[in-house]
Order: sequence, then structure tokens, then C-alpha cells
Amino acid sequence: MTDHNDDYLAGPVPEPDAEASAAERAHAKTFAELVDKTLAGRMPAAMSADDRALVEVATVIRAASGEVELPVARRHAAVEDALRQAVGGAGSAATTAGAIAKLPRTRRWAPWAVAGASSLVAAAALAMLWLRAPRVVEHVVPAAPREAQVPASWRSRPSDALVGRIERDRAGDAATRIDTIFADRLDGYRERRLVGGEP
Amino acid sequence: MKYVPILIAVAALAALVTCAADREPAQTQAPAPTTHTPDPADVIGKPLMLSLSRAKNLHHKAKIYISDGNIPAAIASVREILSLEFPAGAPEAEDVRNDARALLGKLLVGQGELDEAMRVVQEGIASSQRKSFFVANLLTVEGEIHEARAEKLATATDAASKARVVDEKHAAIEAFDRSNQIDVELQKQLTEHP
Repeated sequence: MTDHNDDYLAGPVPEPDAEASAAERAHAKTFAELVDKTLAGRMPAAMSADDRALVEVATVIRAASGEVELPVARRHAAVEDALRQAVGGAGSAATTAGAIAKLPRTRRWAPWAVAGASSLVAAAALAMLWLRAPRVVEHVVPAAPREAQVPASWRSRPSDALVGRIERDRAGDAATRIDTIFADRLDGYRERRLVGGEP
Repeated sequence: MKYVPILIAVAALAALVTCAADREPAQTQAPAPTTHTPDPADVIGKPLMLSLSRAKNLHHKAKIYISDGNIPAAIASVREILSLEFPAGAPEAEDVRNDARALLGKLLVGQGELDEAMRVVQEGIASSQRKSFFVANLLTVEGEIHEARAEKLATATDAASKARVVDEKHAAIEAFDRSNQIDVELQKQLTEHP
């Protein structure tokens, strides 16, 4: 067989319309059988370098024609693996179809892990801010403490408690009452000045 | 779909930045001051003491005029009290003026000027902001003025004047009753809340 190949390759190139010789027909038939065996997965372990080169060219031409199909067994195995991976079943990671490319597990989950961690940190920050937010305290000075800061005797106020009920026979005795009022307010005024109020 | 994690991360960062921005004002917010300085209008000050002092002197001046029988001069002194200026909102101002009006009303009644006396007294009652023993005193003087009117009308000979006597007496009773009501009310308040 090697000798025939050498003969054809080394011999003169026949005319395009020349009738194929018996040797050529035999060689063509032998090569066709070799190609069929190769496509069927039964490629011979040993062949000449020229035959191997031709077989590889034939394989490439066939693949380029787009009509290459996986064997039925391998096709079924690939479909089963794809279905198991889609439903997340056991054994989804292990596939018999090595041709199906898969991203590494870490590459698929890394963005989600980063996003989840960021969300957790943000939620924790919000919770901390809410829990440690300063309470709004209204510093409203109630009336009672404010009055307590200034003694009653220092304050301007009605004179009813000081004067009391005015009897009818003393209705015109305003001079006595103004004396009483003035003396009381003067006491408060002096006390306030002495204790540290008005300079 | 592949941009969803990135969007979540960006949203989380935005939330953090927003929280940090919101926290700044809260940290710098200063509490409202609690220190209270006495309100000049509340405490006894020089203006109030000056007004009270002038009212006191005018009352004593009127008293001297009255003792001398110079009622017109006494009336003028008391009228001067009504024109005194007091610190705004000082309760003593209303008390002193009402007391001066009561005295003025009595002096005018003594002079026979009943209508002027009634005007002075009723002005004081109408301008008062609260019930006080001084308002009750003004009502007492108002009742006395009504009494004086009734007595004056009783001496008249015409029928119309005689018919008004009853009205004046009823008005006097009404004024005395109102005066007593205020006295009782205030006395009760002072007893419960001295």
C-alpha cells in the first residue's frame, strides 16, 4: 500500500479526462474504506503519513460542510447532562459531555456574594444608625421651674393677696393701699438687687 | 441579568453614603438652651418702682388737698395718677389705676358730678383685664353713685324723675351684688391657692 502511494505521488500527473487505471481505482477504493472507518471511529492504528494527512483533510472538509453529528450515545448523554444541570439535580457538575463549556463555580457566585455582603453591611449600618440615632429632646422650660427660678416677691404681680377685700367704708382709702403695695414691691426690688439680680 | 449584582452593590453603597450624609446634621445639632434669664417684664424693676412711687406721692398729695378741703386740687392729683405710665403688662398698673378711679369717683360724687363719676368708674370696669378686689371696689363705688342718683332724683318733683329712682336703686343693688360676687370668688381662690 505504501508502495502504491509512493507510485502515485511520484508518478506523472494523469490528464483530467483520462480514464482511471485499475490501480487508481483500487487505491481510491482503499482510501474510501479508510475514510469510512475513520468517521465510524474505527480508524486504523497504523497508516502511512500520506494516508493520515489525506484522512485529516477529509475530516476537516466534512466538518466544514456542517453535517457532522455526534454519535447517538454521546448525543443522548449530552442532552441528559444539560437537563440535569438545568434542574440542579445531583451529578449536574459531572458531565460526560466534555464539549459543553462550564464556568467555574466561584466565578458564577462571586458577584452575588459581593452584592449580598454589601447589602448586609448596608442593612447593618442602617440598623446601627436607627438604634443609635440621637433622641430629639425638646428643651421646653415648664412654667413651674421658670417661676421657681424667680421668687414670687421679685415678680410683678396682682395686688389682691396683699390688699385683700376692700370694705365699703374704705373704698376711697387708696392712699393706704398704695403705701402697702409700694412697700411690698420695694422689699422685693431691694432683695433682688442684693441677692444678685438687677445691678 | 448579569448586571443585577452590580446594581445591588451600587444601591447598597448609595444607602451607606446617604446615611452618612444624614448623620452629619444630627451630630452637629446643638440642644436648645435651657438657661432662662428673668424676663424684664416679669420682675420688679426700676420703671415699676418709679411709677408706684409717683402714684404713692400723688395719692398723699390728694389726701392733703382733701384734708384742706381743696377737692378740685385733689381730683387733679388723682387724675394725674391715671396718666402715669407703667411697664407693659404689669398687673400693678391696673390695680393702681382702678383704685385711683374709685377715689376719683367718690370725690366727683362729693362734688355732685355724678355723670362724670359714673363715666370714670365704668371706664375702669370696662378696661379691666381680670377680676380683682379693685374691680369689686369700683363696682361698690358704682353702686354708691347709683344711690346718689336715686337720692337726687327722689328730690325732684317731676314724675319721670321719680320713675327713674327705682331704676337707679335697682342698678345700685345690682352693682353691689356684682362686687360681692367678685369678692367671694377671689377670697375663695386666695384661700385655696394662697
